[in-house]
Amino acid sequence: MSSATIILWIIAAVLLVFSWRAGQETIKKGFKFAWKTTKQNALLIILAFFIVGYVNLLSPEELITSWIGPDSGWKGILSSEFLGMLLPGGPYVVFPIIDLLMQAGAGLAPVITLITSWSTQSLLTVSFELPFMGWRFSAIRWSVGLIIPLLTGFAAALIWR
Amino acid sequence: MDKVVKKYSIHLILLAVILILAGIAFSKGGWEFVAEGLLQGLTILGKESLLLIAAFLTAGLLQALIKKEFITRWLGREAGLKGILLACLGGGLIPGGPYAYYPIAGALLSSGAGLGVLIAFVTAKNLWSISRLPLEFGILGATVALRRYLITFLIPPLLGISVEWLFGSAIEKIRKSVEE
Repeated sequence: MSSATIILWIIAAVLLVFSWRAGQETIKKGFKFAWKTTKQNALLIILAFFIVGYVNLLSPEELITSWIGPDSGWKGILSSEFLGMLLPGGPYVVFPIIDLLMQAGAGLAPVITLITSWSTQSLLTVSFELPFMGWRFSAIRWSVGLIIPLLTGFAAALIWR
Repeated sequence: MDKVVKKYSIHLILLAVILILAGIAFSKGGWEFVAEGLLQGLTILGKESLLLIAAFLTAGLLQALIKKEFITRWLGREAGLKGILLACLGGGLIPGGPYAYYPIAGALLSSGAGLGVLIAFVTAKNLWSISRLPLEFGILGATVALRRYLITFLIPPLLGISVEWLFGSAIEKIRKSVEE
């Protein structure tokens, strides 16, 4: 079991105790809300995981390494932003890939852009966001966020050149 | 018909992505690859199911426990900077992938949280993420991890503030469309 699972179960358990102390009505309501959310989103989550499965299978690591080389300059930052959006999976998958890129000579600025873009602009994440937050929220968050990985990359290039 | 398309529009988007990916898989390894992708998806889903249950339970209990007035006061539009900072803190501390924190963000949304607050929560989860910290330091090294944290540190509150300022009034529309 991952540590995230354990921590989230601890949070759920604490909330359960609070609900229990607040009365039976609250616990019932909590389970009802949980069930309603699950029912509403079950199919979407299964679909999103099929996407995860394919991305996992098609493993685009090699393609990525060919994109950001050493001394790629602002082009490297730009491609990093784009790559970050497509980079699949959680930190266990992504950080080792980025480590490989660094060993292959990727600079600090593209790497920081890549981590930031993967964190905030990942398209795979959007597929989990849409069901819960709606397309308007995703559209605002994603489009306003587009500039951020670029800015962090350029800032890193200026500060730690 | 329009209603059906609207209700299932997100399903259709995801389905389209799956079909494209399945097409790529087919071109690389035939039907065997197509089936393998689906199977891997189900396997990962199975592995993450315990986390998913905890996330949905947390989201449900939060919704039942937290009084609307509390959300309005601390995380609603009126909460201002205080709400955004609180959301950053919460986002930075919550562990798990998008299938864990989006149900929670969704619960906050339907309980009355403001747009800037929700943006700050999600962005802090993505950039501050305390639970990811050890991994980032461990794999990428202290220099890169530290610089990455430093340079993105102010982004979650700043993004929350600017989105609230620019699009804050859209929150009721967002809330209504998700509840439908």
